[in-house]
Amino acid sequence: MAQATLGPRPVRRSLAELAIDRVWRFFCSVRIAIWEIAALAVLVLIGTLRGSSVPRALTDAVPLTTPLVERWYAWDVFHSLLFMALLALLSVAIAIGGALNRAPGIWAAIARPTVATTHGFLRNAETSATIASPLPPAELARRLATGLRGGRYRVLTQPRGSELHFYADRFRFARLATFPFHLALIMILLGGIVGARWGFRDTEFIVPEGSTRAIGHGTDLSLRLDDFSETYLESGAPAEYRSDLTLLRGGEPVESGSITVNHPLSHDNLTIYQASFGQAVQLRISDEAGNLLFDDALPLGPYRSAINPDAPAARLDLPPVGMALSVIAHDLDPANAPELDTLNLRPGQMYLLLRPAGPDSPITVPTGVTITQGQTRDFVGLRFDFVREKRFSLLQIAHNPGIPIFYAASFLLVGGLAVTFYFPHRRLRGIVSPAPGGGSVAALAPMAKRDWSARRAFEGVVARLEATLGGEATVERPRREPDEGRALESALPERTGGAVEAREEWVEVEPPLAPR
Amino acid sequence: MEALVKLSFYCFAAASIALGAAALCSLGYAVGRVRLRRATMATSAGTTMVASTASFEPGALGVGRFATLLAWVAVVFQGLSVGLRTAAAGHLPVSNMYEFSSFFVLLATLVYLLFERSYGVRQVGAVVLPLIFGMAVYVWSLPPALREVNPLIPALQSRPLMTAHVSLAILSYATFAVAFGAGLLYLLTSRRRVGWLPSAELLDDLGYRAVTVGFPALALNLILGSIWAHRAWGSYWSWDPKETAALFTWLIYGVYLHTRSLRGWRGNRSAIILLIGFAAVVFTYFGNYVFGGLHAYGGV
Ligand code: HEM
Repeated sequence: MAQATLGPRPVRRSLAELAIDRVWRFFCSVRIAIWEIAALAVLVLIGTLRGSSVPRALTDAVPLTTPLVERWYAWDVFHSLLFMALLALLSVAIAIGGALNRAPGIWAAIARPTVATTHGFLRNAETSATIASPLPPAELARRLATGLRGGRYRVLTQPRGSELHFYADRFRFARLATFPFHLALIMILLGGIVGARWGFRDTEFIVPEGSTRAIGHGTDLSLRLDDFSETYLESGAPAEYRSDLTLLRGGEPVESGSITVNHPLSHDNLTIYQASFGQAVQLRISDEAGNLLFDDALPLGPYRSAINPDAPAARLDLPPVGMALSVIAHDLDPANAPELDTLNLRPGQMYLLLRPAGPDSPITVPTGVTITQGQTRDFVGLRFDFVREKRFSLLQIAHNPGIPIFYAASFLLVGGLAVTFYFPHRRLRGIVSPAPGGGSVAALAPMAKRDWSARRAFEGVVARLEATLGGEATVERPRREPDEGRALESALPERTGGAVEAREEWVEVEPPLAPR
Repeated sequence: MEALVKLSFYCFAAASIALGAAALCSLGYAVGRVRLRRATMATSAGTTMVASTASFEPGALGVGRFATLLAWVAVVFQGLSVGLRTAAAGHLPVSNMYEFSSFFVLLATLVYLLFERSYGVRQVGAVVLPLIFGMAVYVWSLPPALREVNPLIPALQSRPLMTAHVSLAILSYATFAVAFGAGLLYLLTSRRRVGWLPSAELLDDLGYRAVTVGFPALALNLILGSIWAHRAWGSYWSWDPKETAALFTWLIYGVYLHTRSLRGWRGNRSAIILLIGFAAVVFTYFGNYVFGGLHAYGGV
């Protein structure tokens, strides 16, 4: 009692401290982590089913569910606030519960494990071994340590009276691997955020052959298509198409290369994919005064013209003259509804149509003209020069600064898992004491409560020790339950079942308390 | 070329038969015999039954050994089948449901046998082998057109990545099938001690070890899939149903791994989560039937 007054005074904790403690514990609880992960899994399932035919099948079977299913379809789970909030919660929980809270404890278990143990622990362990030897205790301990070290175990010893207590472990640093693994989970989310916030994705980036187009999105990059080529199968389907590209920064080339489908070009975190290709026309347009209004390639295809819906077409606004130009090309596939083709263009021909500018300006007086490759024509006060036919390449441009984070996270994730799972921390404890009639006796037991694999590993260690000690010791093998492993098979014929074993609660695997 | 594909199919047929027989033997071994004892009493009114007790007895060890042998025979034939098809197609055959499932049959049987060897217990086979045999039957039920070797569609042509991606999926499903077998037997033994089944602890450990292979494999499958999607489609995660279904499965096994460090969760609840996890695997596997999206295999 007298000691109690000398000890630290009981600290009165403020409400805020209590609240923080509560929150901290909430995030540290593995039990709560389980529910959080399970909740995430449920949301992922709901989102997955939304993309399947299951909800529709549900309404077909139970028409009553229709309103519910409609709301289900309307809810974009993966971009919902709830989903984001859960991910945020998990990240915090991982950071606090998976890392910060456990780090000191794990580090202590690695760096300063408790060496001393008790006879009670060794006696009550689910498996154990006893080694009796005529050697003096110190010598037996030395031999045991040698044997254990030979099996890559670290051995720590501590004398206690006439006894020597020891602790041996293997793969202790593997316990740290759960940190990179859990960290990787946060990093993947981070990579996603970085990609979404600072990246961009352009799915319809069109560059005609020989032209340069700015990539935009706040970059000073532009892309030039130097050449485009395609090969066809006998059936007429394209076998492969290739774009030879040059990437320019501020007009200076920084990277060049060829891309095909599945083989993109990457520069920093910018990736350029081949998506498709189409036809383009090189056109030069000038007004009466000779001012150049347009001199570039015009991709055909993104537009459809009512005059021939099957033919590739393009639209170009000419603001200086308040006109919009429509270009309709020759229909590549004459089998395409020929009755719709009222223009009857031949290959190398183009139909030009001018109308007042405006988004949907009607063609009141369709004023059109047919022009052939290489030809120059004057039309509605403008001069058109059809230089030649070309190809354009349809590219996809993605800039994702999250990718390096993603790669690093993948590495940590898989590496962390592999170390955690395949290099488990194995521990054993023992006491070497002098035997009453001279010589010595050692008792060993693994820290392997309810861990079948660890017990098996322990058996291996004991066999190894037996071999190193040679004839200088008798080893009492670990007890083995007959229904385990291969022993089961030999025991089979006699066994008739019915042996009812009482099952207890699982208990946490914790080192025993060292005696005072 | 044609001949190789045919031969491959015959090997698959042989493997199916071996698997069916292995499944039967395995069941016969694990279920054992039920012996009913009746105590009867003769009275003046005739014979009256007084008590009846059932006792379970293990099946003959020879039957169990035979099951293992047959399963190895199935592995050899199925290995030949996949190997011949690889030779015919010029790449590992994992591009339609027929090929995917044949490969699953091979890997699942092999993974099961390796676990059987490592733990020295055969009883898990009574769950896993019939399940694999069921998959073989499913392969037979697929449209015969899928048995032909077809050229790959362009998006699937990035080969090493695609092969690794799909193989890892199959490997993880195979190990989860073994974990499922262990989980199911665990629940059986923990509810009602059945003498000749392996100890609950062994089953718990076996299930865990299987997950320690399957969980990283599925993680790597998701990662390689993302890298592949990034290469082919310009976006590494697009919330495609097959992707999210695999993620769902992975999360369930994440829950499972956490339960193992908790008192009161480890054991029975862990085993139940193994069953849920395997349901998720089945859902992901056959999801192609209900999903649209990027992963739709040609002709299923
Ligand atoms: C909610 C936040 C999380 C917390 C607080 C948390 C906490 C923990 C803790 C304390 C352990 C160690 C258990 C032990 O030492 O026996 C652990 C292990 C593990 N966690 Fe988490 N975790 C979280 C999220 C996740 C997620 C989202 C996953 C992935 C699905 C995950 C996967 C794992 C794995 C694979 C292990 C290793 C299990 C083993 O060693 O057998 N964790 N986690």
